[in-house]
Amino acid sequence: MASPLVLLPGDEVPSRHLPSNKSNPLKLGPGLRLLSQPSSTSQNAQSQHVLTATQAGIVTTDAKRNTVSLLSFPNRRYIPTVNDLIIAQIHHSSVDYFHCMVTPHTAHALLGQLSFEGASKKTRPMLRQGDLVYARVLSIGLGAGAEVELTCVNPATGKSEPGGLGPLNGGMVFDVSTGMAARLLRASSSSSEQNESIDGLVVLSELGKKLESLGGFEIAVGRNGKVWIDCSNAGESAVKATIAIGRCLQTVDEKGLGPADQKKFVTRILREMKLVS
Amino acid sequence: MSKEAPLSIAEREFILEALRQDSRLDGRTPDQFRPLKISFGDEYGHVNLELGNTSIIVRISAEVTKPRDERPFDGLFNINLELSAMGSPAWENGRPNDVESYVTHVLDSVIRHSNALDTESLCILKGVSCWSIRADVHVVAYDGNLTDAACIAVMTGLQHFRRPDAVVRDGQVVVYGVEERVPVALNITHKPLSVTFFAFNESKNIIVDATLKEEQASEGELVIGINNGGEMCFMNKFSGATINAREIVTRTSVALEKVKDLNAQIDRAMQADLALRAKRGMAEESRAENDR
Repeated sequence: MASPLVLLPGDEVPSRHLPSNKSNPLKLGPGLRLLSQPSSTSQNAQSQHVLTATQAGIVTTDAKRNTVSLLSFPNRRYIPTVNDLIIAQIHHSSVDYFHCMVTPHTAHALLGQLSFEGASKKTRPMLRQGDLVYARVLSIGLGAGAEVELTCVNPATGKSEPGGLGPLNGGMVFDVSTGMAARLLRASSSSSEQNESIDGLVVLSELGKKLESLGGFEIAVGRNGKVWIDCSNAGESAVKATIAIGRCLQTVDEKGLGPADQKKFVTRILREMKLVS
Repeated sequence: MSKEAPLSIAEREFILEALRQDSRLDGRTPDQFRPLKISFGDEYGHVNLELGNTSIIVRISAEVTKPRDERPFDGLFNINLELSAMGSPAWENGRPNDVESYVTHVLDSVIRHSNALDTESLCILKGVSCWSIRADVHVVAYDGNLTDAACIAVMTGLQHFRRPDAVVRDGQVVVYGVEERVPVALNITHKPLSVTFFAFNESKNIIVDATLKEEQASEGELVIGINNGGEMCFMNKFSGATINAREIVTRTSVALEKVKDLNAQIDRAMQADLALRAKRGMAEESRAENDR
């Protein structure tokens, strides 16, 4: 791919930038909308479909999975989009639902009491107020005041797909910008060369290499700007390792460090926290 | 909506566990403040302060009014704090909340009631006219430790502010414009600042300058207002877990050390700004053309 294509809200995505894979339907990421535009000539009754951006960002495509999405700026506000993976906090529970906070001071999202892997009336998880769940946005409803619904299970298979959805135990949550969260998610899912050219995010792989000797770490990234980290394998230095990872992610996010600086910073922090010699 | 979003259980437990091991989320030591950044606006008494992610703007202003009848020799000094929705989504415009009254109370006690600003020097003509100094505190971003940050900002503003010169001539009060006479600095008697300590784990861990998350996980807090000379002008433990008396004594000396350090930082920022102004003022005067 040559130079990245930057779109502003309202711009159309040129069709030559779309992946040419015809076997799967094209999937749209957040920040893009499919609009049907009545054609200008009256003879042609068929309306045309165009993809327009609702946010400013760089167009990114994944040919393998036939997706097109916008890599937007590291803003703080999160707007739920279907299929986003998020980290939600239980606020209270009612008969059928857990009421979750996705972002503070917005309407609660609903998570069905039975939308967990293998959950039945008897085996459903008993979540308390303040517990964290890793969930997928199932639907966002239509219009103002619509309720966002979450799920921790794929309704088709009954499994927690993609893996790891469900309650998060222990660990620590760090806040990052939503743009950073999106980058982290992409870094873990797409092929490495492609994402280094666009994202330049090497902090996670670097941390993974350096902390392997301590027992590694578990990480869950929520599109709502939250990153959950658990290092319980690391024994005594678990707390320090968790803090080190959190600080690395937050600093890379705030200062927008490039790949070389990220590596340097990771080394510096780990040495400062006395985790590696 | 008037409450901060509560911490999750995982976060609370992690913060407490980390403090038990003497670590903080941002790698600071228990007695370390976040980086303090002070800058000044174009006018005297306009301070932008950043303490980590907490950001505050203070404007000091002066006007001539009539002194109160019971204190004809005293000028007026007020600190005005209003938390708007800009600072945190938990605050609503025009609806006072607990944080607001609490911070106002501490600011009043530490700065106003300790007479940091000599109000008698604000008198122009007995019982007829005096200066009324007003400090407006705006919170732009809130990430914990509002009290200390606001205190530093107001004290910096008071030291930076220059009021117009005023004299009494034939029983008439004459106020000179800033162009006519060099404006006068306020008479600061001493420089008190507040230092807030937060207690965790049955008061075994006590830290300064907590971030919002740490504040939410804390069990109790202790506010100490102290000046450079070690004179304590305010101490309060509003609520929360008990703190050992001996602990309070040692914290007082920590507070003194912190206040000395903070005051030094304020002085440095002030000197740098005044030097810049002096240079700019000279340049202004030595310009050949004048704007008509």
